[in-house]
Parts: sequence; C-alpha cells; structure tokens
Amino acid sequence: MKEELFVSGRDIPNIDPYLNIWHWQIPGYLYLGGLAAGILFFAALYTILNKEKEMQATVKWASFIPPIALVVGLFFLFLDLKHKPFFWQLYTTIRLESPMSWGAWVLMAITPLSFIWAGSYLREAWPKWDWKFKFLYDFEAWVQRNRYWFAWPILFLSVILGIYTGILLSAFNARPLWNTSILGPLFLTSGMSTGVAAILLLTKDKTERHRLTVIDLILIGIEVFLIIHLIMGFRASTAVQIEASRLFLGGQFTVVFWTFVFTLGLIFPAILEVLELRGYHLPAYIPAILVLFGGLVFRFIMVEAGQITRYLY
Amino acid sequence: MSTQDRSKQYMNPYLAGVLLGLVLLLTFYITGRGLGASGAVKSSVVAAVDAVSHSHATGSKYYSQFISDDNHPLNSWLVFEVLGVFAGAFLSGALAGRLKLKVEHSPKISSRTRLIFAGLGGLFFGLGSQFARGCTSGAALSGMAVLSLGGFLAMIFIFGTGYVVAYFFRKLWI
Repeated sequence: MKEELFVSGRDIPNIDPYLNIWHWQIPGYLYLGGLAAGILFFAALYTILNKEKEMQATVKWASFIPPIALVVGLFFLFLDLKHKPFFWQLYTTIRLESPMSWGAWVLMAITPLSFIWAGSYLREAWPKWDWKFKFLYDFEAWVQRNRYWFAWPILFLSVILGIYTGILLSAFNARPLWNTSILGPLFLTSGMSTGVAAILLLTKDKTERHRLTVIDLILIGIEVFLIIHLIMGFRASTAVQIEASRLFLGGQFTVVFWTFVFTLGLIFPAILEVLELRGYHLPAYIPAILVLFGGLVFRFIMVEAGQITRYLY
Repeated sequence: MSTQDRSKQYMNPYLAGVLLGLVLLLTFYITGRGLGASGAVKSSVVAAVDAVSHSHATGSKYYSQFISDDNHPLNSWLVFEVLGVFAGAFLSGALAGRLKLKVEHSPKISSRTRLIFAGLGGLFFGLGSQFARGCTSGAALSGMAVLSLGGFLAMIFIFGTGYVVAYFFRKLWI
C-alpha cells in the first residue's frame, strides 16, 4: 500500500487554501446594488440638471427598479448570512474603516430614499393608485415639491453604493485578485453602465435614447480602460497577483471572461451602439440586454475567481 | 424591387465564397482546426439531456462520450464559435439594413408550411450530420480544406442528394 501523509496547518475547510464561502447570493447582490446605484445616480443627476421632461424614463419610469433591486439584493445578502438573527447588529456600530459598515449604513439611507423617490412618481405611472391616508398625500406633495433636495443625497449615496460593491471585495486583502483599488471604480462604472442599459430598455424617447447611448458608450470605454489596467496592474505586481491574473489569461476563467464579459458584454454592444448612433436601424434592446448580462457574468466571475486566488503557495 | 436594388443589397456570391474560404483558413491558423456548426447543437443537446437526467446521459452510449467530470459539455469551442456567428450575423444584418423578424418563403406557400418543412429538413440534416460526424461546415467544408476524402464525399452527397430530390419539392419554392 502506498500511503501519503500530509501535515499542514493550512487545511481549513472552506477558507484555506481556497475560500469557498460566497456563492450566488453575493454576486447577485453586488449586481443588483450596482444596477440600483446606476439608475438612482442618473435619476438624481437629471433632476438636478432640471431635465426631468426630456429624460422621463431616466428620472421617472426606471426609478421603480432600484427599490425592488435593493430589497431583493438585501434579501440575497440575508440568505448568505450564517447567523441570520444577528444581522441587525451591523447597525449597532459605525466603523469608518470597514467597507461593510459603510455599505450597511449607505443601504440603510438609500433604500428608503429610493422608495420615497419611486413613490413620488407612483401616481404618474398608475393614476388609479390610492394612498388611502391624507398624510401620505401630503407627504407625496411635499416630496414632489422638494425633489431637487432629495436628488442631492441620492446622487452622493448612489456613488458610494456603486463604489462599495467593488470595495467590499477589494478590502478582502487576503485574496490577491480582489486586493486592488481599481475594483471600486470598476464596479461603479459597470453598475452605472448596467443602470443606463436598464433605462434604455424602458425609454421610448429618441433624444433620451440618444443621450443614454452616448453615456453608455463612454461608460463602456472607461470600463474597458479599467479592466485593462486591472490586468496590467496584476501583471506588474508580485508573483501572487501575476498568478491571479493568469485565471483570465489562459486559466479557467479565460473563455468566460473574454467571451461573455469583454466581447459580448462590452465591445459588441458598444459596436451596436455606435451603429445606432450613426443611424443604422437596430433593436435597441439588444445592446442593453447584452450589457446587463455582461455585468452579471462579470460579478459572478470576480467573486468566484477571487475566492480561489491566494497569497501562500 | 428591381434587380439593381437587390444587387446593391447582397454581396457578390463569388466574393462571399472567397471570403468564407479565408475565414476557414484563418480558423485553421488560429484554432488549429476547421469550422463547425452542428457540433454546437450537439453540445447543447448533450448539456440539456445531462441537466435533465445525468444518469440517463451517462448511461447512453452516444451522450456519455461527450460527458466528463472536469469539462462541461457546453465548454466546447464550437459553442463559442456559434455564439460568434450569431453576433457576426447580427452585425452584418444591421450593416445591411435587413434586421427584422420575417419568414422568407415562396409566394405560393404559407409561412406555416415553410416553417414546418424547414423544421423537418433541419431534423433530417441534424440526424444526418451525426451519422456523418459533421455538417456542411464541419464535414464538407473543413474536410475538403484538408483534402479529406470524407469531406469530398459529404459535399457531393449533400448537394447531389439535394439536386436529385429537388424536383419533388419544387412546389415549395417555385
């Protein structure tokens, strides 16, 4: 009989050498959080710029997505928790150095704001809606008068929310693939791009579609730039980071990443959007769906791949 | 529509043929193997059967040869190639301004008849491609490019049979 004995202090199930704790709930939540942040950002931005009339889908109709996305996303997070009854303890402390604390508090602030924002447009979308109580009608009227002042905090909080979806991973410095400050801006840009794509699915207005398409193209450009820098940064770093980047350069995530995220989720929709801007007739929902799908796959890959990268070999 | 308009819309078939040949050349250069299409359909079928009943798939002599523990049946380069074909075809349709949902058929038959016969034809072709270990692109085109006798035979029989039986189905077209 051939017997091998391993003695190691590094065999910790589900943590070392490979992390195996985050499953579909986390990328699903990061995706929905980014999507909500993107939609809220542009809704707030165009309200502040006083362009509600030209950008109706952005400001009004898409605003019904973030509350749902945030609640579903938070439910995903809740499902991921090991000790579910203790989730509220996140709200017993404020830790400025912890991204999780930032995220918890930002969500605490932006989720109700997103409900109020969408609620203030509810009767425009469903005129038969009845608030039942007079104070709710008064509150609605007050929000409608003060939308500008709601827009500013939403604008700031949505940026923090968008960045946080990336920082949550990059603060995890025991995993080389995540431990890069590019993830914050990259997830923010990707979230904004998916947000714009979701609005593009709803808009029927030509001017709005044109403007959003240009914005989406710019965002895709920034995203491509950040992805290239992410990989170049890894390549120019230490051996563990080079090893992490290999997952995308020949390793097991190469095909999925370059096909679904980079080509079909960024480059191809960008080409279609350029054609659309040049006057070619295209079904506008195709690039939007591709961007939405690419963003989803991107988060799944980043969470999955990050967990199997490690410092010690 | 006048002939002139149509010629503006469609590429010269000889030029398109040469371009297709160059695509094939490039495929050999980049991937080290030829093009294919039916393989992607086969992989999708295998993946679907495997998802519904893993035991049935592994028990079947045919399906089991495409299933392994360390490789998902959809993780085949042909699947990705076909994804690329969809994307490229979509782009080409957009550039040519022909991007709309429609069923092309002879004015003498209905869309329904056309779809039924297209479905039947596809069914036979799919079955045949698995007997022949490849379809027009995988067996005939790529096979002939590497001077495989099987490739030439496949090409002769695909188009030869088409030529022979065309008479019986001519009413579907003219």
